[in-house]
Amino acid sequence: MRPGVETTAIIPAICAAALEAAALYPYYFAEPGAAMAAARAAGLRPSFDKKIGDSMDYKDYYKILGVDRKASADDIKKAYRKLARKYHPDISKEKDADARMAEVNEANTVLSDPEKRTAYDAMGDEMQFAQNVRAQGGGGFRPPPDWDQQDFHFSSQGDAGSDADFSDFFSQMFGQAARARRHQGQQGARGTPDMRGQDQHASIELDLQDSYSGAVRSLHLRATVLDEQGIPTYKDKELQVTIPKGVREGQMIRLAGQGNPGLGKGASGDLLLEVHFRSDPRWWSEGKDVYQRVPLAPWEAELGGPVRFKTLAGELEVTVPAGYRSGRKLRLKGKGLPAAAPGDLYLVLDVVFPPAATAEQKQAYADFAKAFPQFDARSLS
Amino acid sequence: MSTSHYPFYEPAELLEQAVLDLHELARHCCASPQWVIEHVQTGVISYDNAGQAREISHEQWRFSSQTLVRARRIAQLEHSFDADPQLAALTTDLIEEVQQLRRKLRNLQG
Repeated sequence: MRPGVETTAIIPAICAAALEAAALYPYYFAEPGAAMAAARAAGLRPSFDKKIGDSMDYKDYYKILGVDRKASADDIKKAYRKLARKYHPDISKEKDADARMAEVNEANTVLSDPEKRTAYDAMGDEMQFAQNVRAQGGGGFRPPPDWDQQDFHFSSQGDAGSDADFSDFFSQMFGQAARARRHQGQQGARGTPDMRGQDQHASIELDLQDSYSGAVRSLHLRATVLDEQGIPTYKDKELQVTIPKGVREGQMIRLAGQGNPGLGKGASGDLLLEVHFRSDPRWWSEGKDVYQRVPLAPWEAELGGPVRFKTLAGELEVTVPAGYRSGRKLRLKGKGLPAAAPGDLYLVLDVVFPPAATAEQKQAYADFAKAFPQFDARSLS
Repeated sequence: MSTSHYPFYEPAELLEQAVLDLHELARHCCASPQWVIEHVQTGVISYDNAGQAREISHEQWRFSSQTLVRARRIAQLEHSFDADPQLAALTTDLIEEVQQLRRKLRNLQG
């Protein structure tokens, strides 16, 4: 690995965000339904006797949504919305909110669709599922006999005919298959459809310093691809990503072609990383401007004079003007985040009082008080 | 499971202001261009080059990556709760404001 390349930061960020993204792009996570749908979409018979099948744990969607197996469509909708609010990634304080939200989305995707729910119910409950697996010699789950012949129908919210790739907002399970089916319909032939892969979204956590100097981060990604036999399988890959200088909070970095693989001759989707800076008590950014606390001794603050200190733009010396005021800021033009028109660096002046430890130091404070007999700190507030 | 043993350096593109066109924004949101057009027309999302004197066509609209984050959030809210676009936008406005205030509070607390 190249010296200076950090690998630790991105991995949890990718994982957490990817789980959130799983709600939108389940194909990437090789969920059984999506993998099968993708395989079928490609005109291939899905196989569950190895690879995906080995890692296919039964998911009790009813339990995830907290509803009875006989729950009505309305009950499922209510339960889903309640949990969607509870685990919303922008609001929830639950530690595993992203993972739970992905689970809840998946459960809702299956149970809110009568056809998918019927197919899911046909697998039986967890106990029946385990028995089926054992009955098949432990070689993995084999779907019900008619599963492969089922013709799922996909509803479309938008104008399905206007854009083969993005005619509606679908991103839940079976989305790939829905796209493939529409595409096949347009082609009028049941060949392998050419479909662009889904984009992936994730967060990346950086230090503010990275924006000044640029950085390299190592991303570990897992994608699901279809092998020559059409069997979904995992593929891990590592990317060394150069973080461009001047990146700002909330901006996105796009890695073209690093999202989910396409089907047929379809291009891969993009990977989009949303940038967030780690919290740091020394400095923070607002847009391309940077704010930095500069601690001053009381005499520096009041009398002014040259002060030397470290900034993210390098070591600097500035002349602090005499006469300290609480909340005073000094602006250093062009020393903020790099850009064609760089941001500014604001120095937030902060007075730090030296502790009086020795008798001599205590006397110095007493002399200080004597020098200001009329001073009343409370009268200034 | 297979692993690539040869990591390669991937050129990253920083998405600045006014970089995404209508179709890119739609694609990155898993939405249709029509969804984007409707949400621009109703003022729920806006394009960066909106201040021009003459009216520009949909194809000339350009969006920032911040708009992409906002649009994705709105789309997800609409989808999860069958929410009205204006309600989803209101919720997104509040989420954005809470995030800003939390950042400010964190900075004040040092």
